[in-house]
Amino acid sequence: MNLEDELRAALRREDPSPGFAGRVLARAQSRPAPKARIPRFMWAVAMAAMLVIGFAVTSEYRQMKAERAGREAVIALRIAAEKLNQARDKVVRREN
Amino acid sequence: MRRLCLIVLIAGWTALQLPAQLRITGLDGLASKAKESVDITLDSSMLQMAGGFLAGNGKDKDQAKIKELLNGLKAITVKSFEFKETGQYRMEDLEPIRAQLRTPGWSRILNVQSKEEISEIYTRTEQGKVVGFAIIAAEPKELTVVAIEGTIDLKDLSKLGGLGVPAIPVPEQPKDTGKKGKQE
Repeated sequence: MNLEDELRAALRREDPSPGFAGRVLARAQSRPAPKARIPRFMWAVAMAAMLVIGFAVTSEYRQMKAERAGREAVIALRIAAEKLNQARDKVVRREN
Repeated sequence: MRRLCLIVLIAGWTALQLPAQLRITGLDGLASKAKESVDITLDSSMLQMAGGFLAGNGKDKDQAKIKELLNGLKAITVKSFEFKETGQYRMEDLEPIRAQLRTPGWSRILNVQSKEEISEIYTRTEQGKVVGFAIIAAEPKELTVVAIEGTIDLKDLSKLGGLGVPAIPVPEQPKDTGKKGKQE
């Protein structure tokens, strides 16, 4: 038997056994298709990660705001001090 | 109903007696004309943040003093403009601020006027403590208005190193020299 005959024998058409279609349909109806489920702990990890990221972003934002406020307060008070002293200086100069 | 009207009247009267926070208005258009400008407004929450930041960053020796000064403050507003040329602002621009400083509660403790320059210092005191402080410094090419709300010691403020100007000791009693024209 040559290769061609072997292939033909192997791939020959065969009729299914009686009731095959019925069995396939019955099994398909009885078992729901498996859903792609995300494990619960993954949700918890995702939520924790989101909380950590949210906290870090808020903290960074607050730090930046405080830094800016600090710089502005220093400038504001220095300007106030400078102008106060300049005014006092003018009085002192005029009195002398 | 009569009681409600009475409460409303008392509340209104009390509100009128309390000097409102100084608002620096009428200078908004000057920033576009200025060579350099500073516009700083810090409310109590921002000042708290600033104090917290300065507490953790003690690099500058003045920062401890600044933090101490900030402790009693409720608000700071600074508007400062430096112009290339003279005549970029009018004295009338300062009128809305001066009008507020003429209201009860505020008193002018220093007024130095010359042909081209004006320096005015105002304070608002409560129970012997300075709880409000304002400076108007107008020069031909520079205009600065500072308004500070809250408890502040002017001696401590004057000790603070300015922007390149040496501090001058402030006498115990603030004085109004009383001469109009050149020096009031």
